[in-house]
Amino acid sequence: MIGSISLELNGLNVRFGGLQALDQLSFSLQQGEIFGLIGPNGAGKTTLFNVITGLTAATSGEVRWQGKTTAGLRPDQLCNLGIARTFQNIRVFSDLSCIDNLQIAMGCNDRRAALELLGIVELQEKGTHLAGSLAYGEQRRLELVRALATKPQLLLLDEPAAGMNPVEKQKLQLLLNTIRKQFQLTILIIEHHVPLMMKLCDRLAVLNFGRCIAIGSPQEVQEDPLVIEAYLGRGA
Amino acid sequence: MFDISLFVLMLLGAILALAVYLPMRAGQLSLATPGFYTIGGTVAALLSTTVPELGGSEQIYPLASVFLELMLAIPLVALLAFLIGKPVLKLKGIYLAIATIALVEILRVVLLSSPWFGAAVGIFAIPQPFEGPEGYAAAFAVLLGITAWGCQRLETEPLGREMAAIRNDELAARCMGVHSERVKLIAFVLSAIIAAAAGVLAAHYFNSWSARQASFDASITTLAFVVLGGSRTWLGPVIGGLVLTALPELLRPIGDLRLIVFGLVILLGPIFIPQGLIQQKRS
Repeated sequence: MIGSISLELNGLNVRFGGLQALDQLSFSLQQGEIFGLIGPNGAGKTTLFNVITGLTAATSGEVRWQGKTTAGLRPDQLCNLGIARTFQNIRVFSDLSCIDNLQIAMGCNDRRAALELLGIVELQEKGTHLAGSLAYGEQRRLELVRALATKPQLLLLDEPAAGMNPVEKQKLQLLLNTIRKQFQLTILIIEHHVPLMMKLCDRLAVLNFGRCIAIGSPQEVQEDPLVIEAYLGRGA
Repeated sequence: MFDISLFVLMLLGAILALAVYLPMRAGQLSLATPGFYTIGGTVAALLSTTVPELGGSEQIYPLASVFLELMLAIPLVALLAFLIGKPVLKLKGIYLAIATIALVEILRVVLLSSPWFGAAVGIFAIPQPFEGPEGYAAAFAVLLGITAWGCQRLETEPLGREMAAIRNDELAARCMGVHSERVKLIAFVLSAIIAAAAGVLAAHYFNSWSARQASFDASITTLAFVVLGGSRTWLGPVIGGLVLTALPELLRPIGDLRLIVFGLVILLGPIFIPQGLIQQKRS
């Protein structure tokens, strides 16, 4: 199945009053690839995630998932269709145990499966701990595995490495490669840590002011003059 | 000396507290409980005083007729809660609280101004299915038992966990596949059913029923049960309902000072025990 299109954006526009958050965005994700989204703060990356997961409606244009438009679908319906996400600022269910966090995402009572999933991110010892009592990095991992518990085909990760130290970042990279193979995932990832993205992603898109200014392999994107301008400003 | 009629009121308080607790478990601050309670009671009062066939041939009002009243009041209130809940539950936080206060107020005024519902005087001489408070104590205990058992079961079921997830973070819950509108509506309807069932029994117990049951005061009192007892597990509202119903009566010897003590409990409870008396077990 690798190579076929899973998610497709067609001329996607999102406007908040006078702010054009996304501007004529069109690209598509191949099944099984890790696709990175980079760009300065406010470029519209998280807005794009919110549109894909049904939290924000597109002003015009559409998102197509597995060949069908997602317009009008609720977040829970999109989740059931195989789109799962994590959040930029961690949103675990902090009053609930780790196992309950996963059982909610699974939608059934299955402690064994929950513990198995926790094992993937080395949290099996913390099953009965309240999610809010975990360390920051652990909460990030819990959120990641909670998204996996919904049995997604497309995983959206919003700055999964934020606040992680170099060792944790290294581990995250290995983890993402493992779960991508194990669960046959397509991954769309937002991350500011460029070296990590260069190593991790098959392709990258660069957003600036809601517009896609470059798309291609990490190598191509890195050498693109528009990207250099967006990040470093115009040369004298 | 143990006062059995106070005990009946305590059981009633605990049931109503569970009715407030259910939406709150899903993060919804609904103060509509006294409204549905009043509707349940009104159905029972009207049926038992105007339909002679329900009275039976014995001196005592037949239990089967009370059961029939329940079977009529519950679907009626469930339908009403469904129709009201669908639009009203779009409101969040304090706005939902205000809207539900308004609902109870509308109901009170409607009852107060319609002669069919007894208007300002109320409906009197509601027949008694039991000879003394002991029978009522048993009936309320059964209702409390069923309700508490249901709430306890719910906590380990997917639906109960989805409710907790919505309370924690509704947006994240929706992204994890929780149909939050549906879950909130179920909690609201279940809450209304519990309140209506309590109302049916209470109308018989009090012997009379009027619009005064649907007061803002009742909304706040039932809310206080849950605030004091805790809204994390079913046991919290039960304890809160029992204790706060008994408290003003037990404090009666100190006269009007008891109202001040009662007020202080409600005021200081959230400050010193914000999670309520019964806290979530931690591991």
